[in-house]
Amino acid sequence: MRLLPFEYAVRNLGRSPLRLMLSVGGSVLVVLLVLIAAGFTQGMQQAMRVSGSPDTVMLIGSGSEESIERSEIAMRSAGIVAASVPGLLRRAGIDAVSPEIHLAMPLVTEAGTPGRLAVIRGVAPEAWLVHDDTRLVRGRAPQPGRSELVAGRLAARALGFEPPESILGMTFSLDGEPYEVVGLMEADGGVIEGEFWTALTDLLVTAQRDSLSTVILRMDQAELGDLEAFAATRLDLELAAIAEPEYYAQLSAFYRPVRLLVIVTAILIAIGGITGGLNTMYAAFASRVREIGSLQTLGYSRAAILWSLVQESVLASAIGSLIACAISLVLLDQFVIRFSMGVFGISINATVLSLGLAAGLLLGVIGAVVPAWRCLRRPIPEALRAGE
Amino acid sequence: MALIECRQLTRTYRRGNEEITPLRDLDLDIESGGFVALMGPSGSGKTTLLNLLAGIDRPTAGTLSVAGKPVHNLPRRALANWRSAHVGYIFQLYNLIPVLTAYENVELPLLLQSLSRSERHDRVATALEAVGIEDRHEHYPRQLSGGQEQRVAIARAIVTEPTILLADEPTGDLDRQSATSVMELLAQLNSEQGRTIVMVTHDPRTTEWADTVLHLEKGRLVEQAVGSERP
Ligand SMILES: Nc1ncnc2c1ncn2[C@@H]1O[C@H](COP(=O)(O)OP(=O)(O)OP(=O)(O)O)[C@@H](O)[C@H]1O
Ligand SMILES: [Mg+2]
Repeated sequence: MRLLPFEYAVRNLGRSPLRLMLSVGGSVLVVLLVLIAAGFTQGMQQAMRVSGSPDTVMLIGSGSEESIERSEIAMRSAGIVAASVPGLLRRAGIDAVSPEIHLAMPLVTEAGTPGRLAVIRGVAPEAWLVHDDTRLVRGRAPQPGRSELVAGRLAARALGFEPPESILGMTFSLDGEPYEVVGLMEADGGVIEGEFWTALTDLLVTAQRDSLSTVILRMDQAELGDLEAFAATRLDLELAAIAEPEYYAQLSAFYRPVRLLVIVTAILIAIGGITGGLNTMYAAFASRVREIGSLQTLGYSRAAILWSLVQESVLASAIGSLIACAISLVLLDQFVIRFSMGVFGISINATVLSLGLAAGLLLGVIGAVVPAWRCLRRPIPEALRAGE
Repeated sequence: MALIECRQLTRTYRRGNEEITPLRDLDLDIESGGFVALMGPSGSGKTTLLNLLAGIDRPTAGTLSVAGKPVHNLPRRALANWRSAHVGYIFQLYNLIPVLTAYENVELPLLLQSLSRSERHDRVATALEAVGIEDRHEHYPRQLSGGQEQRVAIARAIVTEPTILLADEPTGDLDRQSATSVMELLAQLNSEQGRTIVMVTHDPRTTEWADTVLHLEKGRLVEQAVGSERP
C-alpha cells in the first residue's frame, strides 16, 4: 500500500491550533487520570507486597485476622513463645520476638490543630531485629520512659513535612501526652514507612492498655507449622499464627473493592473524555471531506488515508501523553495517600507509565478511526461535492 | 477503436424510495487526442458522466472501456490503481491540499508510483514548467491566486502522464482573464502533448478551444456538434 507522506499528518496538526490544544489537552487529562488510578493501585499493592517477609510470622488474637488494630493478646505471650518454640532467629543473645501494639490515634500538633489519625506502633528493641528492612536514617530509636517517636518517611510527608527530615524535633500530643520526634525511618516503601514508632511501655501507659496487638517473630530453623502448633496447643493465649506475606495478601484483598472503584471511576471519566475527543476529531475530519475525496480521486486508498489520519491523531495524543507522564513524575510520584490501613505513596513506575502511554495511544487510535471512518465511508462523488 | 467507449451507460441513484437516473443508456465514443466539451443544463448528468469516466463512480448498467480495458466492473482497489495510472482530474475548486506546497501537491500522485526521488523531481519540475509556475514551488495554495492554483492543479493532473484528462468546470471559479489562460493551457496540452481532454463547462465561450461539443439533457446526448477547428 502506498502511503501519504508523514509531513501531511504532521502539518495537518497545525491546521487548527484550537483543535490541537483540545486534542492535546484532552489526552493530558485522560492519561493523567489513568496514571493516577494506576499509580494509586500500584502504590497500595506495592506497599503491602514489600511488607511481607516470608520467614516472619505474626501471632495475633484468634478471630481478628483481618484487623491487627482490633487484636488483643496477653502481654506474656511474647515470653512464652520465645521459651516454647525452638528455632527462632537469635542474634547477639536476643530472640527475634517482637511484642507490639498497633493503634490508630490522632496526632495533635503543639499549635493545637485538630489531630490527624496516624498509625502508632509501640515496639521493644527486638522490633529492629524482626523488621530488618526497617532502618533509622536519621536520629535514634525511641527510648522507654521518654515519650519519643520515630517517624516513617511517608508518615512525615503525609503530615506535610517536606522534606521529611523536617519533622525531627517536632512535638506532638498523643492523648494529651507530649511526644517528641527523635528519629526518621525507612522500610523500602513498606507500610512501616507510613507509621510512627514509640517505646512499647510508653504507649501502654498513654493508651491505658495492658495487652499487646501482636507478637511478630522471625524464624531460623522453625517453620510456620511449629507456630501454628504452638497457637493450637496454648489455647489459653487465644492466638492465631499467620505468615506475614499471607497477612498482607489478605489485607490487599480486603482493599480490592476500593481499587476497583478507583479504576472503574477512571475508566468512566476516560470514556467521557474519549467521546469528547471523538467529536473534536469528527469535526476536524468532516471539514476535510472534499480534500479526502480528492486524495481518493488521485488513487490513494481509504486505508492509506485512514492511516494518515490515525498518525495525525496519535501524534496529538502522544504529545498529551508525554506531558501527562512528565506531570505525573513531577507532581504525583510519591504523592502521599492517607488511608485507613495507614499511608502509602502513589507510585509512578515503569508499569504505570507504560499503562498511561498505552491509554494515550489507544485514545489516539480510537479517536481517529471512528470519525475517520464516518468520513471515508462516503462515495467519492459525494465527498467531492461537500462544502460547495 | 475509440479511446473511450461508453455503451448503454446508466447511473441510477437511490434516495430513500426515490430513484434518480441522471445518466441513461448513454453511447459515446471519444477518440484519442480529442478535446471534448460537455455542456448541458444544471442537473443534466455532466458531472455524473465525468465521474464514471474518471472511475470514481461505477455505472449501474452498461459498459465503459478506456484504451481497450473495461473499467466498469473493476473492484474498488483495482479501480483506484487504474485511476492513478490513467486519469488526471481537474476540479472547479482546484482541491489542492492546503498544507502541502505547490511542489508537494504535484508530487502527490507520483508517490503512488515506483519512481526515485530524482525521477519525481524531474517530472514535477517539468509539469510545473508546463503550466507556467516554475517559480512558485515552495508556495502554499493560499499564497497563490485562483488562476495559479488551477495551474498547479493542472500540473498535478498531468504529472502522471495520464491517458485521459478530465475537467469539471475548470474555469467556473475564475475571472475572465485567468479563465482564458487556463483554457489556452488546456488547448496547448491537447495540441502539443496530444492529451485527450473531456471538459464539463457552462461557459459557451470556453467551447471554442474544444474540437467537439456534446450536449447532455436529462441524462441523454441530444446533439453532437462539431466545433470549429482548433484555434
Ligand atoms: N450521489 C447522488 N445521490 C443522489 N443524487 C445524485 C447524486 N449525485 C448526483 N445526483 C443527482 O443527479 C443529477 C445530476 O447530477 P450531476 O451532478 O451529474 O449534474 P450536473 O450536470 O453536473 O449539474 P451542474 O451543472 O449543476 O453541476 C442531479 O439531479 C443530482 O441531484
Ligand atoms: Mg456538475
